[in-house]
Amino acid sequence: MSRPALLLDGLVALPFAFAVLTALLARPGRPRDAAAVVVAALGGFAVLGWSVWAWMDASAAMDGSHVDVAWIAQLDVRWHLGLDGISGPLVLMTTLVVALCLFSLLRHGPGCGGNGQLAALLLLIESGVLGSFLALDLVLFFAFFEVALIPMWFVIDGWGDRHDGPGRRRAATRFLVFTVLGSALMLVGFMIVHAEAGTFDILRIAASYRPSGAAAVTAAVLIALGLAVKTPLWPLHIWLPDAHSKAPTVGSVVLAAVLLKLGTYGFVRFWLPVVDPSWRLLAPFVAGFAVVGIVYAALACLAQTELKRLIAYSSVGHMGFVVLAVATFTVGGVQAAVYASVAHGLITGLLFFLAGAIKDRYGTGDLAGLVVLYGSVPRIGGLFAFAAMASLGLPGLAGFWGEMLAIRSAVYPASALPGSTYVVLAVIAAFGVILTSAYFLALLRRILQGAPAVRPVNEDVASIELVSGEIDPTAATGPRRRDVDGVEWLTWAPLIMLTVLLGVAPGVLLAPVADAATAFLGRLG
Amino acid sequence: MTQDIDWLAVAAPLVLAVAAVLVLLGDAFAGPPRSRRAALVPATLTVLATVAAAVPATMLRDDTRSTFCVVRPLEGPVPCSFVVDRFTLVFWAITLFGTAVVALIGTVAVVEGRTPAGEWNFLLLCSATGALTIAASRDLITLVVALEVVSLPAFAMTGLHRGDRRAAEAAVKFFLVSVISTAVMLMGVSLLYGATGSVFLEQVDSALAGGVDAHRVAVAGTLLTIVGLAFKVAAVPFHMWVPDTYVGAPVAVAAYLSVVSKAAGFVGLILVLALGVGQLADVWSPVVAVLAALTMTVGNLLALLQRHAIRLLAWSSVAQAGYILVPFGAADSSEEALGASMGYLAIYAFVNLGAFAVAAVVGTRYPAQRLSDYRGLVRDEPGAGWALAFSLVALAGLPPGIVGLLAKVVVFDAVAGPATWLAVVMAVNVAIGLVYYARWLAELFRPSAVQGASRYDVPNGVGMAIGMTFVAGLVFSVFPGWLLDPVLGVLR
Repeated sequence: MSRPALLLDGLVALPFAFAVLTALLARPGRPRDAAAVVVAALGGFAVLGWSVWAWMDASAAMDGSHVDVAWIAQLDVRWHLGLDGISGPLVLMTTLVVALCLFSLLRHGPGCGGNGQLAALLLLIESGVLGSFLALDLVLFFAFFEVALIPMWFVIDGWGDRHDGPGRRRAATRFLVFTVLGSALMLVGFMIVHAEAGTFDILRIAASYRPSGAAAVTAAVLIALGLAVKTPLWPLHIWLPDAHSKAPTVGSVVLAAVLLKLGTYGFVRFWLPVVDPSWRLLAPFVAGFAVVGIVYAALACLAQTELKRLIAYSSVGHMGFVVLAVATFTVGGVQAAVYASVAHGLITGLLFFLAGAIKDRYGTGDLAGLVVLYGSVPRIGGLFAFAAMASLGLPGLAGFWGEMLAIRSAVYPASALPGSTYVVLAVIAAFGVILTSAYFLALLRRILQGAPAVRPVNEDVASIELVSGEIDPTAATGPRRRDVDGVEWLTWAPLIMLTVLLGVAPGVLLAPVADAATAFLGRLG
Repeated sequence: MTQDIDWLAVAAPLVLAVAAVLVLLGDAFAGPPRSRRAALVPATLTVLATVAAAVPATMLRDDTRSTFCVVRPLEGPVPCSFVVDRFTLVFWAITLFGTAVVALIGTVAVVEGRTPAGEWNFLLLCSATGALTIAASRDLITLVVALEVVSLPAFAMTGLHRGDRRAAEAAVKFFLVSVISTAVMLMGVSLLYGATGSVFLEQVDSALAGGVDAHRVAVAGTLLTIVGLAFKVAAVPFHMWVPDTYVGAPVAVAAYLSVVSKAAGFVGLILVLALGVGQLADVWSPVVAVLAALTMTVGNLLALLQRHAIRLLAWSSVAQAGYILVPFGAADSSEEALGASMGYLAIYAFVNLGAFAVAAVVGTRYPAQRLSDYRGLVRDEPGAGWALAFSLVALAGLPPGIVGLLAKVVVFDAVAGPATWLAVVMAVNVAIGLVYYARWLAELFRPSAVQGASRYDVPNGVGMAIGMTFVAGLVFSVFPGWLLDPVLGVLR
């Protein structure tokens, strides 16, 4: 086995092997289950290191020849893996986020069930997700896509919200059923593509398949539907808020940062090659739904009363930007999509970690019960403000480039697309950015600062006096609570640093993506 | 005129038939078993018989053998009644594996002592003989007779539980439905014979290809034959007998009905429709497509309502039959589509048997078979628990049950394009089906209701059945090509 082949196969096999090892060590009776979690965390970092090595070894544009053997000869299904500039950033982001989740389990478990088993499930999910990012065969992609579902279902069902048993069960099953419905439709689409193009190999499809005719349109619509459930695209997002808010902290992080990316990555890798941009309706409609999603999500966020639900809805908006970028059929669009995906993974991962930390300390995620975080947990409050700023697209942080590039690519879509429609969509999306800022700022105002406890006595601002000197600040802020601890600092620091790094030096990510996109989709403008 | 009989070709059904007689005679002479071990002898003999029957079958794997042929036909090629080709061998493999597993599941009843083991295994072997014969039959008469050989012992097996009124009721219901379906099918067969002048499938085919005067009669005959076989495979709206029969019968019989007997029905459908009336595919293909859509939708929706494990499996097997019927809906545009049905059937066979085997074990402690009785099974009895979990995810078509996922891939591959609407209906159904499989799966992993409950006393035979199906599932999940390559290649 050549070294690149070993690296790619190992990227799928290593998390699986550690998952098995962790499951064998796990003692369900013990909630902490230190031995198993330590092994899992080591595994997480080993996979992270392995993925960095694989990324160093891979060239930005792959030839896809390293791992390619027949799996089911009669069906023409091949075990075909590859790593390039499109999948590479997502692979690295995945391994990093999962490693951090496993590390955080050392100290902060969901408090029910065993942490060891939870860690094993996370590693299983990682294995499936990495397989999906590497797969270059339609059926193989579908199979890996599904690997993550049952473990995620267990994570939500078994370790979710302690106070709402039936609720988390419903959320878990809804997540499972929606996603499977989507992927089954996607599979039907893949099969039609197979009948039309004569191969499941996406590299060959991208190079030589020229979609035309009713069957090709049906296939593209079905694949778009399937990926739209996963991404999720409005109006197929309804499984998402429940799943995210009922899942345990690490589950929410993995769902938002990693699993949603399967949908966006699928759009780039498996949808673009099977669509002809000159079809008058499909791509503009997808872009239109994406923009509606951006605005809808922002409005929904304004109305949320629960912290994790709010962050979940904000994900719908961010995914809208990604899909809008993809639907422009340009290299710039692919760049924006990958960039925004990675940025969303880092930032929303951090937001969910913080939301989990806040819920741990306050016992509730209800916004009404969260006030004056600056007063009681100033560091968490500060970090939350940072993450929220990053998420709303503050220039200088990673979130900005994703949204900016997405809007820019929508202003200059591929020549075959109706340009004026896209400009309108870009304007609406930009309006969505403003709404996003509005709800994040309102949120910060509400939970970090809280209602002003003191008022100026008279109109003369220069001479502010307290209404009463005896006001006890703890009445408004509540007792001081435990602030960020060591494990949390170590867990969050990489996310924070990368958010800043990608914000100030976007070129590190954009250049390889552009190379890979040009090589993968030669016909893009 | 003398017949030259190719004894090697007929060896496999013959071995089972002889074994059936031996089991019956042995039981009669030995009298009632004096120990638990002695009671296992008939089941052991059955398993050995299936192994013995597999030997001549493997010797035939490279060539096609025909026997019971017309000695001097007036014109054209020599038509034969009994042909062993790769298609036949695939179904023989399913039948022999299924029969062995069912015989092992049947040992669970030995403990209760209410089922006479000798008679039970005799009937099982008789029925399996019929199942082997139908896969090799190439004329309508042999096919109908073989199908009846499958069914008749099955009625008796259903009602063999001593002093169980539900079993008796199940048997009667099953018997009546089956007799009616046979009558309808005979009517269809005789119309086909009348329209084409032959009972041999290849001659029916060539007559239809040449154009027959009584085209409408041939169409009517085809449709009636489909109705008859639809009862056997329990396609909606001919499925009413399934839930009551499965629940009333011993679990092993339900397993047999859902796998081997159902496979026999599908063999009949494939043989008649593909080899016999393939020329009329533009007529029967849409009809079967509608049947498939109805079958999976009704099966899944009603399975959603079930809280009784066996009843749930009964409805799920109705839904699964719908999936197996789906490729028939694409048969008018591609001859190879039916290979997908065979692939699905092969995978469904051992996955479903695995679920029934575990249900039989749980039934020894909780005869009521409520889903909540499965709580904590993974912890109380890891072997059975994990095996059932695997079977359920495979039936749902999700990893780690990769075989189940690939079974669905195979069917989608056949039908997406020629009949995309059917593929979309199936996709929706896969999602619906997930709800009840997931509900059951969740029970397995919950903490058990009774803390520190003792482990199950899994009888060795059933343990072996669970092991066989579980190992088959795992091996074929990692190397799906080992199973799918030969099966899908049969019709190409």
